[in-house]
Amino acid sequence: MDGRAVYGVAKKEFMDNWRNKWVISVSAIFLILTLVISYFGSMGAGGTGWRDLDATIVGMITLVVLLVPIIGLMLGYATIVGEKERGSLELLLSYPISRIEVLLGKFIGLGAVLSVANFIGFGVSGVVIGASVKGVQWGNYAVFILASILLGLIFISISMFFSSIFKKRSAAMGGSIFLWFLFEMIWNVVIAGMLAAQYGIEKITDPNFMAPNWYYVTSLINPVWAYSTLVSLSIPSISDLSGNIPSFVNTPLTLAVLLSWLVGAFVLTYYIFNKKDL
Amino acid sequence: MNIVEIKGLTKTYDAVRAVDSLSIEIKKGEVFALLGPNGAGKTTTIKALLGVIFPTAGEVRINGFDVVKDGKKARKNIGYLPEKVSFYDNLTAMQTMEFYAELRGAGREGCVELLKDVGLEDEADKKVGNYSKGMVQRLGLAQAMIGNPSLLILDEPTGGLDPRGSWQIRQKIKDLNENGTTIFLSSHILSEVQEVSNRVAILNHGKLIALDTLENLGKKLDLQPMLRIELQRPSQSVLGIVKQVKGVKNAKLSENVVEVMCNPGAKTNIINAIEGAGGKIIDFKTVEPSLEEVFLMFTGDE
Repeated sequence: MDGRAVYGVAKKEFMDNWRNKWVISVSAIFLILTLVISYFGSMGAGGTGWRDLDATIVGMITLVVLLVPIIGLMLGYATIVGEKERGSLELLLSYPISRIEVLLGKFIGLGAVLSVANFIGFGVSGVVIGASVKGVQWGNYAVFILASILLGLIFISISMFFSSIFKKRSAAMGGSIFLWFLFEMIWNVVIAGMLAAQYGIEKITDPNFMAPNWYYVTSLINPVWAYSTLVSLSIPSISDLSGNIPSFVNTPLTLAVLLSWLVGAFVLTYYIFNKKDL
Repeated sequence: MNIVEIKGLTKTYDAVRAVDSLSIEIKKGEVFALLGPNGAGKTTTIKALLGVIFPTAGEVRINGFDVVKDGKKARKNIGYLPEKVSFYDNLTAMQTMEFYAELRGAGREGCVELLKDVGLEDEADKKVGNYSKGMVQRLGLAQAMIGNPSLLILDEPTGGLDPRGSWQIRQKIKDLNENGTTIFLSSHILSEVQEVSNRVAILNHGKLIALDTLENLGKKLDLQPMLRIELQRPSQSVLGIVKQVKGVKNAKLSENVVEVMCNPGAKTNIINAIEGAGGKIIDFKTVEPSLEEVFLMFTGDE
């Protein structure tokens, strides 16, 4: 494998996408909203540190969960199929570069754009939080940023997969939109519905209720749920808020689920792209 | 060693054989033209040559390396200009060239020279998204020449160009070939590439139907003079009668002109036959058919 070829593609992918208007709009919304949340959250927190920023973090988790996957999907969905439709992919593959190098280069370049967007969004809010609250645990904040980037990378990986299997850009876009709705809206509603069907609504809304294991296993499959659980587990002050979670749902497990999504989607993409006629 | 070896290349899409058992060898230093009508399989052959699509059967080698198994090594020293070349809208020409140069292990200075060579030095820092079609084509040629490749693959290089542009490409091909570059080009218009090609292969419906130097091909096709008969008015029935005359190989009606390919001796009989049927001849003359016209007949489906 040639590092220079991968770097070349990554650099081009970065330059081509950091001014993508959709990425900029969603990133701008992300930046503004995190700023607003952190401002109002920390204003109310007084001077006693991270513990009092619970509402801020929870608010930011909600924001990341909705917006970061969108940035990821929009970066990745057209990266193969769009170039193929345009004709530039054929030219690229005529160079002494292998298909895995193309995929890695694209993933790294797109991942870099997403990371920059995240750092800017969190960085600005971080400044606001740091300015108004004493004793902030920056280690926890760093974990939060990295986990959020990981979530975005997963969605880049999955949208690259769609980009490699569909023949038209519009289909890859459609698949990505469907996937967002699936993991953001449909998945957990369906599982909760099944739970309610089994136990009845009154019982499951009881604060002492602990759902059976199947509920957590199926929830874990959803990378969005795995992400929010990972973040709330890693930040002690929030763990207390997460309610009753069985002990097997721990940090290593949720992290493993996320990494499996990331690597699994990428490997599948490589397997398909490597054998495909252009 | 031959610079390109295509052995028994077959490519099937669903039930259609786009390329059928094609075997071609390209010698180092020659200009080789792959000819055929649209849909003959030329672009499929080129894509298989580059490893962009995978053969259903057969083997393709560049400089001895198998294009599928050793793709990177096979493509190490080649340049490619696709038929409808396309780049990245947000990058400038210079950034584009630098991107491709990086992939080929070539330096930045070469890019500046190449852009000058194709006449794009003044537009080098403008975004390619704003380029005209002609400018994109020129950038395409510049990109293909990065790193001074030993083999240049051009898919329909004169397609869509005006006569001047077409002439410039031919000059470029001659210059590059004089410097030792092997050139493999495809075209569906023989006359555009006739003067630069050493050998040609003719493809039709995915099959190789001829492979030789142009000179030999001309001899084999047995070129004969053609009779152009201008009638007073167009007449299908006159065409029918002409076709019946002994010694007539083929006849075509173009508005009010009958074009006939025939044995020299049949001329008088044809004139008589037309006048005997009541057709009025305004003018007639003998013309030498171009290789182009014979080529078209050879690959036409009439």
